[in-house]
Amino acid sequence: MSDEANIELPKRKRNPDEGELDVTPMIDVTFLLLAFFVVVSRMDPQAAVALPMASYGDSIQDKEAVTLIVVLDEATGEKVEVYKGRSMADDTKVPPGDEDSQETNIGEYVENQLSSHPTKNAILIKAEGDVKTGMVEMVKRGIAQSELAKTRKIYVGIEAEQ
Amino acid sequence: MSKKKKKSKPDPNTDGEGFGLNKPTGQFSDLDIEMKKKLAVEREELASQIYRPTPEDGPDDVTYKNMGWRGIENVEDDFEEPDVAFEKKEIPEDELDMTPMVDVTFLLLIFFMVTASFTLQKSLEQPPAKSDQPSTEVQEDDEVLDDYVQVTIDQTNTYYVTTRDDEEVECPSDSEMRSRVKDAKETSSATRLIILAHVDSTHAKLVTAWDTGVINNMKEIEIQTTDEEF
Repeated sequence: MSDEANIELPKRKRNPDEGELDVTPMIDVTFLLLAFFVVVSRMDPQAAVALPMASYGDSIQDKEAVTLIVVLDEATGEKVEVYKGRSMADDTKVPPGDEDSQETNIGEYVENQLSSHPTKNAILIKAEGDVKTGMVEMVKRGIAQSELAKTRKIYVGIEAEQ
Repeated sequence: MSKKKKKSKPDPNTDGEGFGLNKPTGQFSDLDIEMKKKLAVEREELASQIYRPTPEDGPDDVTYKNMGWRGIENVEDDFEEPDVAFEKKEIPEDELDMTPMVDVTFLLLIFFMVTASFTLQKSLEQPPAKSDQPSTEVQEDDEVLDDYVQVTIDQTNTYYVTTRDDEEVECPSDSEMRSRVKDAKETSSATRLIILAHVDSTHAKLVTAWDTGVINNMKEIEIQTTDEEF
């Protein structure tokens, strides 16, 4: 009798577990995915710019570049709005006016940024695809007004094609 | 029943041990009297254990003790709970309940999956703008003897591909422009791409033309803008 009891004991212990799945691997995978998406996702509002598509491009660090955003004015669809910096806030907007005054404003901003942040070694223009070439040229001319910008490379933001 | 009767037969008249299955005698037996005595003794013992309020307790003591209870403090501790009756599967203390954590984790996972944008933002290096003034670089163009391919983008966003030997060819679509530049690159040894864009053409078209140059391994890509109508 005692032998039989010894044999039956492990059986009885295993039985309650059979109905439950082991969730540990699932949790592991979930955490991996979670960590991945946390790292990949950006909480910046900068994604609002519809950059033109291109198959090749360089990756440059956002923090190492002076960024200018060029978007079409939503109201008119004709004029452009230029924002100084990586966010499209009203206080970073280049005041509208004739091209010369905007160029001067952009040039001053770039000069200020480059002198206060010597580590920034590039200037990035994030222009929407629908913006006219002349407007991007205007921003480039503005950048060219900055003396420090002459030793920096100028980049145009694109979206990588799949 | 028959078994019980059989068992009680060999010793019919023992004192109170036979479960009252003795043969009926029709009169009170000694057993009965003894039983009554025993019960009386037991009753006295029990009565002595019952709490009666004494004057020391005060007149207002109408606690449970008045009702004959012995009180909780008097309950003997030697009573053992039966093991089987309360057998219950307990969660070991060192195992945390992970269910809420998993719930929250899934919520976070879904949130980040939905908000994640997989658009990879890259950048193209472009030459700085030349001054607005008419340049004196016209001579320079003559100096360069390299073959070149020129992509012109007019004010209506139409491409024209020109090589040094060929006529200007209109390309209504992006893919046609791409293939024409590719052909031109293959038939000649052009290493330069000149993009001549009207100021009213869109930035996306210019980037496409630039990208075409990169794809076709052009060593030098130039951007020229003009406000002259084509």
